[in-house]
Amino acid sequence: MSEYAENLSSALAQRRYERIASIVDAAVKKGRGEIFTLTDMLDQVFLNKHLGIPIFLTVLWTMFQFAFAVSEPFVVIIEKIFEMLGAWSGQAISDPHLASFVSLGIFGGLGSVLVFIPPIFGLFLALSVLEDSGYMARAAFVMDRFMYRLGLHGRSFIPLMIGFGCNVPAIMATRSMDSEKDRMITMLINPLISCSARLPVYVLIAGALFGAAYAGTAIFAVYALGIVLAVATALIFRRTLFRGEPSPFVLELPPYAVPDASSSILHMWSRGRMFLKKAGTIIFGMTIIVWFLSTHPWEETSGGQVIAESYIAWIGHAIEPVFQPFGWDWMAAVALLFGLVAKEVVVGTYGVLLGAEEAGLGEALVSQELFTPLTGFAFMAFVLIYVPCVATIGAIAKETNSWRWPAFALVYQTALAFIVSGVIIAAGRLVGLS
Amino acid sequence: MNSSGSVSGGCLPLAFLPEGTEGIVLEVQGGQGVTRHLEDMGFSSHARVKVLKSCPPGAMLVMVKDSRIALGRGMAMKILVKNIEE
Amino acid sequence: MIRAALIGNPNVGKTEIFNRLTGLSQKVGNFPGVTVEKKAGMLVHRGREIEVVDLPGAYSLTAHAVDELVASDYIVLERPDVIVDIVDGINLERNLYLTLLLLEMDANLVVALNRWDMVAARGMEIDIEKLSELLGCPVVPTVAITGCGLEDLKDSIVDAAGQKRAKGQGAALNYGDDIEQLINKVEDVIKECTALNGRYPERWLAIKMLEGDERVMEQTRAILSSSQLADILSIIEAEEAAIK
Repeated sequence: MSEYAENLSSALAQRRYERIASIVDAAVKKGRGEIFTLTDMLDQVFLNKHLGIPIFLTVLWTMFQFAFAVSEPFVVIIEKIFEMLGAWSGQAISDPHLASFVSLGIFGGLGSVLVFIPPIFGLFLALSVLEDSGYMARAAFVMDRFMYRLGLHGRSFIPLMIGFGCNVPAIMATRSMDSEKDRMITMLINPLISCSARLPVYVLIAGALFGAAYAGTAIFAVYALGIVLAVATALIFRRTLFRGEPSPFVLELPPYAVPDASSSILHMWSRGRMFLKKAGTIIFGMTIIVWFLSTHPWEETSGGQVIAESYIAWIGHAIEPVFQPFGWDWMAAVALLFGLVAKEVVVGTYGVLLGAEEAGLGEALVSQELFTPLTGFAFMAFVLIYVPCVATIGAIAKETNSWRWPAFALVYQTALAFIVSGVIIAAGRLVGLS
Repeated sequence: MNSSGSVSGGCLPLAFLPEGTEGIVLEVQGGQGVTRHLEDMGFSSHARVKVLKSCPPGAMLVMVKDSRIALGRGMAMKILVKNIEE
Repeated sequence: MIRAALIGNPNVGKTEIFNRLTGLSQKVGNFPGVTVEKKAGMLVHRGREIEVVDLPGAYSLTAHAVDELVASDYIVLERPDVIVDIVDGINLERNLYLTLLLLEMDANLVVALNRWDMVAARGMEIDIEKLSELLGCPVVPTVAITGCGLEDLKDSIVDAAGQKRAKGQGAALNYGDDIEQLINKVEDVIKECTALNGRYPERWLAIKMLEGDERVMEQTRAILSSSQLADILSIIEAEEAAIK
């Protein structure tokens, strides 16, 4: 049946175009004919065989600079505000239990959500501008050849790049991809791209254990590991879960246009608002839970002062055996648990556990012999890979309209984290490191 | 149909049209979905196509029905065109 | 309240127009069952409340692409009062394809001819009246990025909502005797089926079946009796050779 229809359908399409041609003939007088427009001129540069990719990378870098650097002052302001609110409520409220709940739980929780706003809005604004100007399509064109070899679609390049800043907007950015399969793959490998939240962890551990000379290399190695894993996982997913023909690359390159400011801002606002509503509530909920677990039982922990006596420490000790083969102790377990909420929290947790300011944390780590270079590197790798942070989970849930995929991401990433860390430790031991 | 014919006047896949040349679409091969999609984008029978950029093995950029369309090589292989002298 | 929907090829300025029509009232959600974004907003013009839904950009309305399916479903099932087809003035040939398809669905259509400024810049002259006459629906030139023509567009939307379209009005695209005969034959069978009657425009249904549109085939399979279905299939097969 479909064989016949194919020809019939072509015949129908044919007639339609003929009709259109006659309508256009009757109503339109073509003008000067093909003129070399501004669009053509710009394309000569942007699509140039040799300049295309460097230009794209520059544009990308500028986008990041804009989004993260420009939003930085706002992030600091928001952090300060919530710090103050937290401190104020801690003192103003007489009942210590309520005070803790309000200052650490509510304000602490709210703060951790709102702190995402400036970079996310900044990124979305930059993205809208790029898209509305028509440049995005050119970027996809330029990167397509490269991405194809990696089993990815040209359009996944941008979301993956954004992932270096923050995985949440990166996942939201996959909306622009039209192939469901490619979109899913991009979303699932995205958390493997090391986001900026993980950097403090790397800096702390690498700085303490590898010394100034090699810390940079160690950190770079972790980033590279993330990229390699992302590519490998993408290839595996392509062969297994998301089989099928790679979606055909057909893309219209619209004429360049100066993006309308109000339009772009509106675009940014509607996207950002969604993030706040859905993902925000999840993060907030999680931090309340973490607050509860770390400050209870109330008496034993002296109102949350002695974390070692809290539920979360109990949980940490309970799961410690899992991490022992890697040479990590219960504190690492607790830190990793807290890292679920947001990966920077790993550092903060150590600060609380070791009772040290961030500056002295490095020395504390070394003096207490909590990590060796080998176990430290494996820890960095684990932090890179294990579970997407809660915000990312929320974003994936929202974008896929189900909890199935975030659950899958959680499971596969944790498994992968154990495997990779395990391999690192094993390889290291083989070579004689401890 | 002479599929590997000489460049001038012959019929060949769009993928082989050199940069700067023009062709007229003869036929779009492939499964129903692909064909319809390409037709919808403007690659219908008798449509004029001009090759703006072609750097194998990457995508190619053509002008068809007044818009610029980027096509992967695979897709460009499915569109048979007749080369016309400029 | 008037229910209007915006549709058009990707990259024609549809988003611009949607933003200008709805501003901050727009809300983003999803079309049911799919991850395709659905934007809707409100607008008040000449005392009438107008709900505007932004349908996904589409080059045509096939069953293959999710976006196009969503748009097609919305039009057929939700039956908006007015559909605004946003057409790129400098790319008429490809854009009008969708317009023809919409007219075939008996959509109450208003065409917004966008990028009017670029049309002038290129020295093109488009006879709006003639175009409107040939298409059988109002055509409004617009320049979305400046907002020019938007008031006229709003006027057209309200006017169009007030006039119920007579069935079969519009481009009444004649596909040529051979295909028209085919369409009539299939239409006859469809008219016999009381369950389908009135639900969808018969001509459109017939054309979709001739195209082998999977979605339509699936849905009609459930409704048509097996003999009716067989009739239609044999009509198509028999005529196939004639077309070739």
